[in-house]
Amino acid sequence: MTQERFISLVRAQQEPLRRFLLALCGGDAALADDMAQDTLVRAYVASGSFLGLAKFSTWLFRIAYNCYIDYCRRKKPEETDIDVALSVPSSDASDAAFRYQQLYQALDKLPEKEKAAIALFYFEDRSIKEISAILDMPQGTVKYQLSMGRAHLKQHIQL
Amino acid sequence: MKEIEEFLRENKPQVKDDPTFLLETQRRMDQVEGIKAEVDRQRSHGRVALIVALVAGLAVGVLATALAFLYPIDAQTVGDGLLESTRVFLQTYRQYLLLPVAILAITLALVLSSGKIKFLQQQ
Repeated sequence: MTQERFISLVRAQQEPLRRFLLALCGGDAALADDMAQDTLVRAYVASGSFLGLAKFSTWLFRIAYNCYIDYCRRKKPEETDIDVALSVPSSDASDAAFRYQQLYQALDKLPEKEKAAIALFYFEDRSIKEISAILDMPQGTVKYQLSMGRAHLKQHIQL
Repeated sequence: MKEIEEFLRENKPQVKDDPTFLLETQRRMDQVEGIKAEVDRQRSHGRVALIVALVAGLAVGVLATALAFLYPIDAQTVGDGLLESTRVFLQTYRQYLLLPVAILAITLALVLSSGKIKFLQQQ
């Protein structure tokens, strides 16, 4: 795949990709963007192996999820990003800022798979089938992760 | 559960518009291309060196075989003589034996590190 072709494919996906990683990183925009760049480099290096069997975005999101999992494995257990979530870049309204803060803090408490399933289903409007391909798990497991994620979020978010 | 679903759908994380994002991607891709080109160059150099070594080895082998046929000698005598002369050489110069090994190691280290520095400077 040529650089131009790759960039043209990435152009349409950069915002969803960054949003997905932002949700996974608990609102840490700098970390999410850095991870997105890492994802794109990995995708570019592996672009020769992209056969077009899946959608480009599904393939890209799968690499992004793997990047995030690698990051979680590297991260020391004592590191928590709650403080980062508290300094969330938000819209002007303080109410919206509070909602985002609450959302990121709640997401941060979820296990990785639940968090990823929730982010893909609710923020990226992906189908269960696509999420199943991205997270490499059966569709039934995706539904279970979503259900568990919602239940866990309910405990942490005051509506 | 409906409220949670509504809350999530209404509060999608907002990413700030960043015009430099794709430029940074392009820059990193150029770096990847540079590394790929360097790896390809080193690989082709290695291939050429291997072919040269094979050809040289073949030539020396052919030459040695031809000489052996042209000037036949008693192998037993030569072997005994070689063993004896090797024994005498090792006994005489054993204190200097590590010197060429050290010189070779230092030379290799210098050659390899200068190649890496040059590559990093190019990047």
